[in-house]
Amino acid sequence: MVNSKEESTTKKDLLIVGFLCNWCSYGGADTAGVCRFHQPTDLRIIRIPCTGRMDPLFVVKALIYGADGVLVSGCHPKDCHYNEGNFYARRRLEVLKQFLPFMGIHTDRFRYTWVSSSEGQLWQQVVTEFSETIHGLGPNPGVHGESNAKAMMSFFD
Amino acid sequence: MEDKAKTLQREFLKVFEKLEVVLGWEPGYDSLHASPSFIRQVEDLNKLVWNPLCSQNLCNYLVKTLNASVREDGKKIGICVKGCDSRSLVALIQEKFVTRETLYIVGIPCEGTVNWHRLMRFEPSLKDVQKVTIQGQELVVETAQKTYRFPLQHVMEQRCLHCRYPNPIIYDLLVGEPITPHAGDDQAYGDVEKIEQYSLPDRLKFWEKEIDRCIRCYACRNACPLCVCRDSCIVETRTPKWLAQRCDLKEKFFYHMIHAMHLAGRCTECGECERVCPVEIPVTLIKKKLNQIVKELLDYEAGIDPQKQPPLLTFDPSEKGI
Amino acid sequence: MYEKIFIAQGELAAMLERLSKEMDVWVPVEMGDEKWGVRFLPYYRDNVVVLDRQSTIGPKNVLFPQVETLLRFRYQKDSQDPSKQRIDLKDRQEVSSALVFGARPCDVRGFFTFDHVFLNGRYKDPYYAQCREKTLFATLLCDTEDSACFCSSVDSGPGDREGSDLWMVPVDDGYVIEALNDKGRKLIPIMGKPATPEQIEKAQRIQEQVTAKRIGEYDLTRSAKDFTGRFEDMDYWRDMVSRCISCGICTFVCPTCYCFNITDESRDLEGERIRSWDSCMFYHYTLEASGHNPRPEKFERYRNRVGHKFSYFPDTYNGMISCCGCGRCIRSCPVFIDIRKIVHHLKEAVDAEN
Repeated sequence: MVNSKEESTTKKDLLIVGFLCNWCSYGGADTAGVCRFHQPTDLRIIRIPCTGRMDPLFVVKALIYGADGVLVSGCHPKDCHYNEGNFYARRRLEVLKQFLPFMGIHTDRFRYTWVSSSEGQLWQQVVTEFSETIHGLGPNPGVHGESNAKAMMSFFD
Repeated sequence: MEDKAKTLQREFLKVFEKLEVVLGWEPGYDSLHASPSFIRQVEDLNKLVWNPLCSQNLCNYLVKTLNASVREDGKKIGICVKGCDSRSLVALIQEKFVTRETLYIVGIPCEGTVNWHRLMRFEPSLKDVQKVTIQGQELVVETAQKTYRFPLQHVMEQRCLHCRYPNPIIYDLLVGEPITPHAGDDQAYGDVEKIEQYSLPDRLKFWEKEIDRCIRCYACRNACPLCVCRDSCIVETRTPKWLAQRCDLKEKFFYHMIHAMHLAGRCTECGECERVCPVEIPVTLIKKKLNQIVKELLDYEAGIDPQKQPPLLTFDPSEKGI
Repeated sequence: MYEKIFIAQGELAAMLERLSKEMDVWVPVEMGDEKWGVRFLPYYRDNVVVLDRQSTIGPKNVLFPQVETLLRFRYQKDSQDPSKQRIDLKDRQEVSSALVFGARPCDVRGFFTFDHVFLNGRYKDPYYAQCREKTLFATLLCDTEDSACFCSSVDSGPGDREGSDLWMVPVDDGYVIEALNDKGRKLIPIMGKPATPEQIEKAQRIQEQVTAKRIGEYDLTRSAKDFTGRFEDMDYWRDMVSRCISCGICTFVCPTCYCFNITDESRDLEGERIRSWDSCMFYHYTLEASGHNPRPEKFERYRNRVGHKFSYFPDTYNGMISCCGCGRCIRSCPVFIDIRKIVHHLKEAVDAEN
């Protein structure tokens, strides 16, 4: 279980977590790399077999624990390698995207797209735009308890 | 209102030998509380009551305690439902956790249930209560000393203020006359809209403050009729470990978002989660927001039509706009 | 040297302010705007202290926090020799003194159970011991009982001063506060001015009136044998416990419940060992590594809870009941299970036989 989502530092790079589907988007990112397209370096990629694997809670966990942005990318609808995965995903992720602002997390910190494995240029565009959006929003303020939270925890430190 | 209790007892008596158990409400530990009742002997039927204190959602027991999908001996489960409870029942039928044929449903139109905390805020010294009824827009509490009248708005459960389905939508027998709802469709999400009027950082502060009190007792999860994972729940598994044992705000925030997301498109707003919370966190609000999103996006409300399927459990290839 | 002072309601805030310079002061405050519940939090200036009703969650947190770090550790790898590892261990630090202001006799009594288990056995719990020694209790005489309270049924009462360091009696528009031991006496001069003889006399009368009250109609102190007699009666337990939803609230709000988990929470090379509250109402409480669970059903778990509080504990600790009669489990239960009735009716099986 990947757990090293650290608090974002004050360095120039912010922390963007990307969940890419193995068949299309991961290939697309690979294509972008092979063609040597320039991209911002904020993105840390995690490979998942299909966006259907995408549990909205991966996104929530990343954002609560300090990631500045989360990007999910998969095959185009109707082109899913497993036929239906991204149909489920697009419903779940859209609901999640509209839910985040209710809890106080900016909706633009999460984005989901469809990029196929030959669309290297599109991938570069997506990453660059999203990076700019996140930089515009600034580091994630995160979720912090008020001083009374100490009351529920230990006496010291 | 007392007549309804007698009606209930009489009706259940008629069919008792066909029933394995009757789920209803009986008087609680004092005259301001009612408790769920599992009646297995015919002589216990006269414990059944009906009044504004009957706030528990009895559908909670169908899957977790009684396993109502399987009944080999042909006997049914008798259950009393209010309007909100009947929606939970329909939602369970939609997801095939419960078979309609195993149930004998007695529906009771409900004018509202009392929130004890809010009542105490109004009148902490209530003693020797003899009768609690709703008359018009007032809650009437008769004690040995005097009769109190409280405006319903101030003492009802939060869920009752926005109730659109006071009349059970599924039943074998209806006890009582249908009632007009407290809220119209446009007022259903008034409390959600109130939060949305705050700025984004203010919303975060609001939730941080409320969720900070959480003690992770999981009562909200256990009281939810649709939370059926029980002991395999994601918050208690260690493989993988989603949540630590810590009581940091991050863990609690995440827990509440998990709970709500797992109920997206399934929650019927019965309000039990908020009622049982010992530290009075407005948890139903989070789920209502998700229901609002599902309604606008996918035009679906849980627990209305037993034939429909919750949209997040299925897909439509030709969908546009997502 | 005076031992009894009087403090007016309006001067409470100033007094708490003075006290909080000497030590951590924990006070009962409302859960939030327009909420009824009350919980204990460290005092700071804008707190509004609520003393007219019992708290929903008691001051158990002060001596037994919900999450307590026992130690912190960090692995340091030697870059020259990867097989070598050093562990940096940080043990607990000093605990500061604390005062729990506005507890009730039932809250204080809860800690007697803790003392038996954590201090008087073969192994003394150093974390609890340190906190216990440095924490004082300024306890309020209780005249706000409600239908769920039953302290007299378990050998206590609303005027029970045992275990407190300072005792407060509401008189006129304030409180007469009396020191019950040396620790309490040290705080008296900071707290307020000496009480007048009239105030002391009023307080005495109120004390007598309240102590004479009987809160709770049953006597639950001799239920150990009845419990054993009814242990096997699954119909009884099913009848009584069917409505339980196994949420665990009763164990979390109970002042005497002390079960805990110890877990290591770590990330990469560093982490901490924490102790957190556990609940016998959860399925995982007795889940064994093999997958077997001796108490898979909630009836068995609830039976264990009743047994522990009213039978096993008194048998082990000289008749002391592990229940203080505060009624929180009844009040906060989502389905209002009444433990008094369950324990009281245990003896029906015995009576029926006789």
